Amino acid sequence: MDAGASTYLIRPNYKDKFKAEVAKECIGEVLREQLYAVQYDPEEAPALSRALADCIKNKLRDVGFDRYKLIVQVVIGEQRGEGVKMAARCLWDADTDSFAQDIFMNDSLFCVAAAFGVYYY
Amino acid sequence: MYPVKKITKEDTWRSDDLKVHIEAHSEESKRRSKREEEHRKYRDGESLDRRHRDPDRDSRREKEKQRERESTREKSKHRDPDRDRNQDDKLEDIREDRYKERKRERDNRHRDGDEEEKRHNRGEKENSERRRDREKDRYKDRDIDMYNQWDRGTNREGEKDRDRRRAERDRERKSETDRRKEERREGEKDERERDKERERRERHRARESEQHRDEYEEKQREGERRERRSDKEHSGHKEKEHRSDREEREKRRRDKESHVAHTSHSREVEQHHQEWKESKDYFHSIKDGDREKAREREERDKRREKRHKEASESKRSDRERKHKDSSGHDLSERINTDKEVENEENKQASKDHNDYEEDFEDYEEDFEDVDEEEDDNEEEEEKEEHDKKLREDKRELSPKRREEIEAIQRAIDEENERIYSARSKPTTAESAVTQRVFTERHSDRSRTHGKIIDFVSAKQREVSQKVAKKQKKRSEELLRLIDFDFSITFSLLDLPPVNEYDMYIKNFGTANTKQAYVQCNEDNTDRDIQTEEVNMTDKWTQHPQEANAACGGSKATEDSADESTSRINTNSQWLTTFLRSAAQVMAVLIEENMAESNSVRRLRSQTDALSFSDGCIQLNTKLPFLHGRQVSLLQFSQVQRQTLLSVHPPSSKSSAVRLDGETIICVWNIWEPSRPQKILLYESEVRCCCFSPGKVTLVFAGTEIGSVVVWDLREHSGTHLNLVVGKEVWTLRYPTFSTDAVLSVVGHLSPVVSIEPVLATADTSSKSTLTADIDECLGLSFQLGSLDENGVLTLWVVVELHKGNDSGSQTDLGLRPGGKVKLLHSSSLQTTEKSPQDVIMGFGPPVSLQLKFLLSDSNHYFIGTNMGLVRHGTRHSLKVLPKFYRSQFDSCRPVEVTALDFSPSGEPLFLVGCSDGTVRLHSVLREDPLMEWSGCSSGASILSVQWSQTRPAVFCVLDGASDLHIWDLTVKDYVPFVTENIHNDRVTAMAVFGEPAKQNTFSGVALAKQSGKVEIQYFKESLTVPSAYDKEKLKSFLHNAFLI
Repeated sequence: MDAGASTYLIRPNYKDKFKAEVAKECIGEVLREQLYAVQYDPEEAPALSRALADCIKNKLRDVGFDRYKLIVQVVIGEQRGEGVKMAARCLWDADTDSFAQDIFMNDSLFCVAAAFGVYYY
Repeated sequence: MYPVKKITKEDTWRSDDLKVHIEAHSEESKRRSKREEEHRKYRDGESLDRRHRDPDRDSRREKEKQRERESTREKSKHRDPDRDRNQDDKLEDIREDRYKERKRERDNRHRDGDEEEKRHNRGEKENSERRRDREKDRYKDRDIDMYNQWDRGTNREGEKDRDRRRAERDRERKSETDRRKEERREGEKDERERDKERERRERHRARESEQHRDEYEEKQREGERRERRSDKEHSGHKEKEHRSDREEREKRRRDKESHVAHTSHSREVEQHHQEWKESKDYFHSIKDGDREKAREREERDKRREKRHKEASESKRSDRERKHKDSSGHDLSERINTDKEVENEENKQASKDHNDYEEDFEDYEEDFEDVDEEEDDNEEEEEKEEHDKKLREDKRELSPKRREEIEAIQRAIDEENERIYSARSKPTTAESAVTQRVFTERHSDRSRTHGKIIDFVSAKQREVSQKVAKKQKKRSEELLRLIDFDFSITFSLLDLPPVNEYDMYIKNFGTANTKQAYVQCNEDNTDRDIQTEEVNMTDKWTQHPQEANAACGGSKATEDSADESTSRINTNSQWLTTFLRSAAQVMAVLIEENMAESNSVRRLRSQTDALSFSDGCIQLNTKLPFLHGRQVSLLQFSQVQRQTLLSVHPPSSKSSAVRLDGETIICVWNIWEPSRPQKILLYESEVRCCCFSPGKVTLVFAGTEIGSVVVWDLREHSGTHLNLVVGKEVWTLRYPTFSTDAVLSVVGHLSPVVSIEPVLATADTSSKSTLTADIDECLGLSFQLGSLDENGVLTLWVVVELHKGNDSGSQTDLGLRPGGKVKLLHSSSLQTTEKSPQDVIMGFGPPVSLQLKFLLSDSNHYFIGTNMGLVRHGTRHSLKVLPKFYRSQFDSCRPVEVTALDFSPSGEPLFLVGCSDGTVRLHSVLREDPLMEWSGCSSGASILSVQWSQTRPAVFCVLDGASDLHIWDLTVKDYVPFVTENIHNDRVTAMAVFGEPAKQNTFSGVALAKQSGKVEIQYFKESLTVPSAYDKEKLKSFLHNAFLI
C-alpha cells in the first residue's frame, strides 16, 4: 500500500450527507404506514421490529447516504402507562455522522425508531 | 474440571494404586514425549495453524509488535510485569504446592491461578477441555500401562519399547548437551548467572564432598547403576513400609510446608526459578519475535533445563550420599530431613523392585524433557519453532540408525546415571512437570486438530494479515485526520408514566359509561351591579336664542336634536302663529261666552240708562297700572272692528306702579273685555294712534314730542318687560320703532296731531275686498301719513324686516333689538300755505288738527285746521278743487276743526265737528257744506263726530258737555235722533264701532268715562241695521246740494 498516494474522502458530499430531517421523514413514513392500526402483540413484536428496521434501512438506502453505514434500531413496546426513557450516546465524528429518530404511538404500543448514519472514510 | 472429584479419588487410593498410577503416568509421559517428537515435525505449521485459530491473539500480538515498533511500548511494558508477576505467582504456587499430589496441585493451580486463568483464559479453556480428554486418555493409558506392567514381568516386549524410548531420549539428551555447549558460548549473561549458580553448587558440593568425597568419587567411578541397585535393594524390603511412611510424610509435608529441612531445596529452586523467570521475562518481552530470538530463547530454555538438571543432579548426588550413609541405620531421620530424596528413592526402589530401573531413569529424564518444554509452556510456540529443526534432524536419524544410536545411548547412560544420581529433587521437578504436562497435552491436542488445514489456513492467515495490516495503516492515517467526539446523550424517547387515574380512565373510563351530567355550577351565576348607570347628556343653552336654537344637546344627540329642534322650530313658527291666532280665537270665544252671559244681565240693567243702548259692556280698566288714568282717545281698527285702542295718558296722581310718566295704550278686543290684549308703553304723551290697515299687527302713534312710533304686536312677550302685579303677569311693550332717532330734518318738529295709514289706491275700487285682502295686496309694506301741528305731512313707508336683529341695528337706531318693523321716511309735505289772508286776519299761525285720507283715493288728504276750514290737497301737490271746505256762514273764523270723519259707506261725504259746537256735512266736491247744524250742543265743543259703521245715515256726536247725540238723518235731519246726556260720569272720548257687511251686524259706541272706565254700548237694532233709505237720503242730500 502506497501511503503517499492514498487519499481519503473524509467528508461526504453534501448530497450524500446524512440529513436527519430527511431520514426522520422516512422513518416516520414507514412507521405510520406499517404501524397504522397495529395492536401490540408480544409474539409478533420481535418480527415486526426487525421488519421495520429492515424496511427503514432499505428506504434510507434508496434515499442515498452514499458511503454511510446505516444502523437502524427499532424498539417496540407496549403502552401500559409505564414511563420509558431511551437515550443513545455515540462516539463518532459529529461532522459527518448523525442520527434521526421518530416515534410512533397509538393506544396499544409505542415504537421508537432511530437511524444512525456513520460515515465510511 | 473435576478437582474435587479427583481429590476424593486421590484420597481413597491405596498405595498400590497410587504406585500403579505413578508408573502408568510415567509410561504415559514416555509415550507422550515420543508422540510429541513425532508431532514436532509439524509444529511449525501447527503453530501457524493455532495462530490462525486464535486470530484475536494473533492480532493482538501483531498490534503489540507494531506498537513496539512505534516505540509505544506501554502496553507491552504493562503486560510484561503483569505476566512476570503472574508467573511469579504461578511459580510460587508451584513451589508451595510442590509436594502435594499432582492432581491436587492442578486443582490448586486452578484455584489460585484464577487471574492467570483469566489472562490466558482462551488457551486455558481449550486446555481444560483438552485436559479432560487427556485425563480420560490417561486413565485409559494407565489401564494399558498397568496391563503392561503386569505383563512386563513375563513379556519382554515392553522392555524393547522401553529401550527404544530410552534410546530416543538419550539421543535427545545428547543433542541437548551439545546445544548446551553452544549456548554456553553464546549467552554471556546467562553464563554469568550460571557461573554464580555453579559456584554456589560447587561450594555446596565442596562442603558435602569434604565429608564424603571418597565415597562419592568411588561411586561415580564405579557406576551409579550398581549403587542405585544396591540402594534400591537395600530399600527394597522396606518398600511397603516406605510407602506407608511416604503417605504419612506427604501428609506431614502438607501440614508444614516451611519445614527447615527443605528450605535449602526450596531456596535453590527459587534461585533456579528466578533465573528461569528472568529468561522467561525476556522471552515475554520479545515474545513472538523473530525466529532468531525464539531460537535464542529456546537455547536459553535448554540451558535452563540443563542447569536445572545439574542442580537436581548435584542435589541428588548429595542426597544419595546421605542416603547411602543413612540407609543402614537412620533412614527415618534421613527421610525427615530429605523427603524429596526419600520419595524419589522410594519410587525408584519400587521401580527397581519391578525391574524398571532403567525405565525409571528414562522416565525421569523424560520428565526432565517434558519439564523443559513445559516450563516454557507459554513460550513453547516460539521454542518449538526452533526445536523443529533439531527434532527433524533427530527424526531423520532415529528410524535409520536406531541400533547405532542405542549403542551410543548406552554409552551416554553412564552420564545419565550420574545425572540421575545428582538429581536433588525429582519430585519437585516432577510436580512442576506434571503440571506442564497437561498444558502440553492440550497444546498437543490442538495441534493434532490443526494438522489437517495446515497450509490453507496459513495462506488465509497471511492474506488476512495483509488485509488487516492495510486496514490498520489506513485507520492510523485516517485517525490522524479525524477527531472523534463523544456525542451528547440523545434522548430517543421520554415517555412519562401515566398516573393511575389516567390509566384507569384510559382503560375503563369510556367503557360502559355515559357522561350524563356535568355539575360545574356554571348556571349558578350571580350578577351584582353596584351603581346604576347615570344618564348623562350635555346641554347648552343661549339666551336670547340665536337662529331658532336656544338650546342643544351633546354631540351624540345633536343631529337628531338639531333636526327635531329645527323641525320644531319650523313647525313651531307655524304652530306659534297658529296658536296665537287660535288662542286669540279661543280666548275671544271664551270671553264672548262669558261676556254674553254677563252682558245680557248687564244690558238689562244698562238698558234703562241709555235709551239707544241695546247692551253695555265695561272694559276692565281697573288694572293697577291704569288706576287713576283717564282715557284720552279710543280708536277702533278699520278691519278688525272689534279691536279697540285706548290711550291712557299719564295722570297727575301717583299710582302704585312706576309707570307714571309714561303713556299706556291698551289693545282691547271688545269681546274679551276682561283684560287688554296688549299693553303698550311710551315715554311721552300720545296725541294720536292708529292700527295698521290690514290685520291688527301694528300700532302707530304720534306723540307730543313729534315722533312717530310703531309697536309690533307680534313680538314675543319674552322680549318685553314683564311686570308682575299681583298674580298676573303683564307684558309691557315699548315701541318697536321710533322716529326719535331719525334725523330731525325728515322728522316732525312739532307734535304729531294725526296719523293715518295710506291705503293702496287699487283697493279703493272694491271696498268689500278691503278688509280681507289688504294684507295680501299690500303685504306689510304700506305708507303711513303723519301730520304735525305745523301742517307737515310726512309719509312713511312701513318696512317689515325679514329677520330681526337681537343685538340691535347699527343703522336703524330707532329700531329696538329684535324688532322687525321700521319706518322709512318717504316724503314730507308742507300742507299749510302761507296765505296772506291768514296773516292779514291775524289769527296766528295755522294749526293743523285733523288728517284724513280719502278712502277712494288715498292721494287726497283732508286736513282740519284751527280756522274752521278743512284743507284739501293731494300728496303729489296736484291742484284739486275745492281747496277749502268752509262753513256756510263765514268763510274764515278761528274755530278749530276738532273732528273729521268720512262716511264709511263710500259716499263722498264727510262730517266736520268744530269747537264751537257746529257739525257740518260736506261733500267732497263742494266747498260749502251740505248741512250745517249748530246750537244742538248748546255751544259746547264737539269732541268727536263719527259715522255709524252699519247705517250710512246715522252718526254720533259727542260734545264737551258729555252729551252724546245720535243723529238719524232718515228720521230727523235737523235735530239729533237721540240725545243722551251722561252727567254722572263724563264721557271724555267716544268711538263708534260696527260690522257693516255681516249678517249679524252689530254696532255700538265705546265711551270713555272720566273715571277711566270704558263702556261699550251696543246700539239698538233700529240704529244698527241699515236700510235702503239711508243711502237714498244721503244721495238726496248730495243731489239737493248740487241742485242748490
